[in-house]
Amino acid sequence: MNLQIVMLLGQDGVTNGAIYALLALSILLVFTVTRILLIPQGEFVSFAALTMAAMQSGTPVRMGWLLVALALAAVALDLYDAARGKGRWRPRGAALAMLAYAAAVTALTGLVPLDKAGVAVQALLTVALVVPLGPLLYRVFYQPIAAAHSLVLLIVSIAVHVVLVGAGLLMFGPEGARTEPFSEEGLSIGMVTLNSQTLWVVAVSLLLIVLLYAFFERTLYGKALRAAAVNRLGAELVGISPEIAGKASFGLAALIGGLSGILIAPITTIYFDSGFIISLKGFVGAIIGGMASYPVAALGALFIGQAESFSTFWASSYKEVIVFTLILPVLLWRSLSHKGAEDEE
Amino acid sequence: MFGRRFAYSLLFSALMVGTAHVQVAQAQVKVGVVTSSTGPIALVGIPQKNSVPLLPTTVAGKSVQYITLDDASDPTATVSAFKKLITEEKVDAIIGPSGSPNAMGVIQFAAEAGVPMLAPVGTAAVVLPMNDQKKWVFKTTQNDDLIAAALIEHMAKTGITSVGFVGTADPYGDNWLKVFSEQAAKQNIKVVASERFQRQDTSLTAQSLKIIAANPQAVLIAAPGSSSVLPQTTLVDQGFRGKFYQTHGAALPDFLKLGGRKVEGTILAASLMLVLDQVGDNHPSKKVASDYVAAYEKANGSKPATFGANVFDAGLLLERAIPVALKSGEPGSPAFRSALRDALEQVKELPATQGVYNLTPADHSGFDERGRELITVSKGTWTLVK
Amino acid sequence: MRIASLSPHARIFLVLVPLLALLPLVLPTYQVTLANNIGIFALATLGIVLLTGIGGMTSFGQAAFVGISAYSTAYLAIGTDLPAQLGWLGGSPWGGLLLGMVLTLAVAALLGALTLRLSGHYLPLGTIAWGLSLFYLFGNLEFLGGHTGLSGMPALRLFGISLDRAESLYYLIWALVLLAVVVTLNLLDSREGRAIRALRGGQRMSESMGVNTFRAKMVAFLVSAGFAALAGWLYAYTQRFVSPAPFSLQAGIDFMFMALIGGVGQVWGALIGATAVTFLKQWLQDWLPHILGRTGNFESIVFGLLIVVLMQRMPGGIAGWLARHLGHARKLAPSAQPAPTPVEPLPRRALPAKGEAILEVRGVTKRFGGLVANNDISFDVHAGEILAVIGPNGAGKSTLFNQLSCVDRPTSGEIRFRGRRIDGRTAREMAGAGLSRTFQHVKLLPTMSVLENAAIGAHLRGGKGVAAAALRLDRREEARLLDEARRQLGRVGLGQHLHAEAGSLALGQQRILEIARALCADPCLLLLDEPAAGLRHLEKQALAELLKRLRAEGMAIVLVEHDMDFVMGLVDRVFVMEFGEQIAEGVPETIQTNPAVLEAYLGGVE
Repeated sequence: MNLQIVMLLGQDGVTNGAIYALLALSILLVFTVTRILLIPQGEFVSFAALTMAAMQSGTPVRMGWLLVALALAAVALDLYDAARGKGRWRPRGAALAMLAYAAAVTALTGLVPLDKAGVAVQALLTVALVVPLGPLLYRVFYQPIAAAHSLVLLIVSIAVHVVLVGAGLLMFGPEGARTEPFSEEGLSIGMVTLNSQTLWVVAVSLLLIVLLYAFFERTLYGKALRAAAVNRLGAELVGISPEIAGKASFGLAALIGGLSGILIAPITTIYFDSGFIISLKGFVGAIIGGMASYPVAALGALFIGQAESFSTFWASSYKEVIVFTLILPVLLWRSLSHKGAEDEE
Repeated sequence: MFGRRFAYSLLFSALMVGTAHVQVAQAQVKVGVVTSSTGPIALVGIPQKNSVPLLPTTVAGKSVQYITLDDASDPTATVSAFKKLITEEKVDAIIGPSGSPNAMGVIQFAAEAGVPMLAPVGTAAVVLPMNDQKKWVFKTTQNDDLIAAALIEHMAKTGITSVGFVGTADPYGDNWLKVFSEQAAKQNIKVVASERFQRQDTSLTAQSLKIIAANPQAVLIAAPGSSSVLPQTTLVDQGFRGKFYQTHGAALPDFLKLGGRKVEGTILAASLMLVLDQVGDNHPSKKVASDYVAAYEKANGSKPATFGANVFDAGLLLERAIPVALKSGEPGSPAFRSALRDALEQVKELPATQGVYNLTPADHSGFDERGRELITVSKGTWTLVK
Repeated sequence: MRIASLSPHARIFLVLVPLLALLPLVLPTYQVTLANNIGIFALATLGIVLLTGIGGMTSFGQAAFVGISAYSTAYLAIGTDLPAQLGWLGGSPWGGLLLGMVLTLAVAALLGALTLRLSGHYLPLGTIAWGLSLFYLFGNLEFLGGHTGLSGMPALRLFGISLDRAESLYYLIWALVLLAVVVTLNLLDSREGRAIRALRGGQRMSESMGVNTFRAKMVAFLVSAGFAALAGWLYAYTQRFVSPAPFSLQAGIDFMFMALIGGVGQVWGALIGATAVTFLKQWLQDWLPHILGRTGNFESIVFGLLIVVLMQRMPGGIAGWLARHLGHARKLAPSAQPAPTPVEPLPRRALPAKGEAILEVRGVTKRFGGLVANNDISFDVHAGEILAVIGPNGAGKSTLFNQLSCVDRPTSGEIRFRGRRIDGRTAREMAGAGLSRTFQHVKLLPTMSVLENAAIGAHLRGGKGVAAAALRLDRREEARLLDEARRQLGRVGLGQHLHAEAGSLALGQQRILEIARALCADPCLLLLDEPAAGLRHLEKQALAELLKRLRAEGMAIVLVEHDMDFVMGLVDRVFVMEFGEQIAEGVPETIQTNPAVLEAYLGGVE
């Protein structure tokens, strides 16, 4: 193992680690705001990648139908709530607007010849298709039980993941897909050539992290979301309903997941069920961060990326075993520094 | 409410059972099909399931009914599905399952019930070594060693003596590593590096670095479906300039689409399906394969992967064997099933989509070199190596 | 008529056993195979019911445990290339069971030790990660047949009988399932079982009653893994082939779904869930193509949606729904037997002599950052004395109470209980020493009976463990524990409500129940946090009488209270706090006229 190999493995680890870090952040965000462990986070990644690939290969983009179905379910749920006296006697504007939006985007993807549209347009459309998935999932699956025990939320998360993987198989088929790279040129530093897609991944990840930081530190809306994470009742008293906080955090998660998917689609083959294993590595990062600390979670995820890369080099068959066993020492450390029995509220 | 619905379903099930008995009385031939059309090996199972409607529906004046079940890639479910087909549907033969472990798990049950099983799976372990149970199993894919022999022959001819192996961490990769290493050793070809990966892996950089570090003249990639692409593109990106060999797992349109320029010049051995327009009209399989591809494309809008053709071939085998077996008993009877097995074992010179079957009591796969063509990728299309 | 006197569980058995015995005689082979699968799934799911439904912990690693055991069994049964040290186990089904059980429990113990102390999210995430890595490990180990699996297992032979057919395996499988159900029911209806049942929402409370909650979690986790190991042994012999796929994370999720659909809170939910899911899968496969026009592909979607709807609308699953609609919700839960013959009462602690200093508080100061919540607090409490701690809101009473009950430790100063320093010890240790408490916000287990709630207080007065409970060797001790609970409940005036659900009591009664629970621990110091809040006038009088009687027996009592009338007529001394400081201490009469106290309460009379 010479220096060049170390550099290449490191570069590979950074690329994957950056994606895991983004997912870890988004998982933490959703968890702190809603107490939901967002197992379906990975499906945002795979759906975005496969949607983009479908656009480029000129095959029908079926993602819109999922949006329309979920938006219809959301309208139906609004009507149901209204009938039971829990809301106003008409579907709320938001749900109808979402339905109209979903229908419009679906029509657009069906009518426009997307394979000639250029990467930027395709990426934009992909984001437009994936992001609404977040708030819609929250509305349909989680909002009715937002107050339930966190383990109930976890089980619903698993179920939603199962549903989405099934839907993914229907929408995208069993074969994998990948997209065109954004640009071909690499950057040579000394003896190592940096892959251009690696640079894209790292640059966009950093940009996203900075934007997230700015959003939460500098904007009113971001601060409100943080407030909702700290104290749900307090946030509600000052006018931030848990519904809005939930939808917003899911929307952000879908955005982060979707962008991650677009970023890695050119460097790897993505399948309908690839998302889960990717997001689990984000989860390992979040666990290292104690399900609370954003910077530690991001660092943990970067570490997982490196560990994965180097362990593959040493024993490729045992890679997953090594990566997932890595959380044992983390759990041990957490366990030793933890004391007392606590009841979950 | 619940109770009433339950009662209805009971009633309905009873009716279904009733009709099933009526069908047995009509003495049509019943064939069960078990595929993994969901779950991790769905990419194998879906083209197989899609090929079922193309199977022959009338043979020797008898209508043939196909009952398709999905085992969701789970071997436990495969066993249940087999038992259901055997004891409930009283099928005369079963085509399936899609996965090698799934097949290994059901052999004993098919043998116990005396139902011939036509397994479109890769691993030769389902028919080798032949024993009392495995004599009920017929394998409708080329044995890996047949394909491997063609590749190794090409390697030897072009002076390649060191090869790196990249395979999926699944039964497909397991079996290929074993078969290839054994045969390569005989030709003095060294396997200098052997790396494994998961289908869903997002990066194969580490594996390809290790392959490159071992400096082989060529790399063999053994992976089913579109997972065969990423190792090759990664190796090309990392600067590997040697020869690439692929197995018949890569023989599907997506390979060209996903690989693009980076798979140019790849050598693979597979059935003639990829190069139908290039083989001579005298090839016994040309017509049947062309017809199958056309019918599949018409029904599903896409070209089939070879996995589907393996199921179609199973139908052709049955088409040949059923008329013989009918002389010994009525469909639905143990005598018929046993005769069907014997008849399958006697199939000779049957042209099918994958090649020509010549089955014997010792060889339940029965392909010869007509079951494989050496193919390369040239200017983005499959080209027969002359 | 005797049937009417049987418990609901016994009645279910009475129906189920003959039914199960007859099934293979009438069912076709395929249905018997399904029934075998159902039995194996039910065993694994029973573990989830115990762990998740009753213990409140979530694990997706159950399939991985089944896998360890199934692989061990297959490996030994095939026994072709065993290492020398395992040779003696080769070929024997008992060897497979032993090895599977030992390996499964060892892995479960390790995993439990790492995650069970942490908050509830770490166990599910930990088991997801571990379920995945084990799946990959199975596939990579050459001696376990790699990804293709291990085939060629001989049929099961026990005591010279060959169990090679589905029909013969059926009886073994279902006998073991019913045995596991009995063991689980026995376990839940015991001292250890109450500790496990208290894990869901009552961990802080049970710690203060002396329950080692970590141990209770571990017990539930190990028993649940043990059931999985048994299921794995049976699985290997039913399929006679093992490969990695049936033990994937997906299978672990399926077991969880079975438990949820069946009803995760009820032991019978495991059987119902395994049956329902197995048939549902069959039906979906038969019907979906007719409804949706295409074969396959839709099952997982329908399944996932079903779970979501179930969680949203029917979280109790089928068993919960049945229990509610048949009116058996309470009876289906394990409940205490009616009073048997009189039993010998539990031995009691030697109470200290009247007047002996029980609690000595010396210079206790508690800071939270810059805030001083308690500043230099000192007082004594003696045996046979009631001391009230009073003060306006925010005076630091609760902080003080938490330190006295060892939930919190003082920043400086010391607390002595019967001469021993106790600050910094855990609430659990103090429960054993004779310090017992109630909670300001009532902490009961609302779905357990009043009797069982009280019996948790007597946890440390029994010593029988899990094995004794499972085999019913604990009945004498259990009767004595329940008798003690019954006695204390009678004493506080809840004798009429022994078998009611604790959650159905009025708030005042719930507070009284907490006192009975505290008394079950046979304490010499009772810490009561606002015991009179929410009580009606007559109830307060009864409570006062009870406390006076306890005092007369030599008990030392400290109560934090707002109700002045209640306090002044009852206690011997009053300790008044304001802004974390002691402002007065003395007999009620002098306190009532103390100007500093009046100032604090009435806000400056000028």
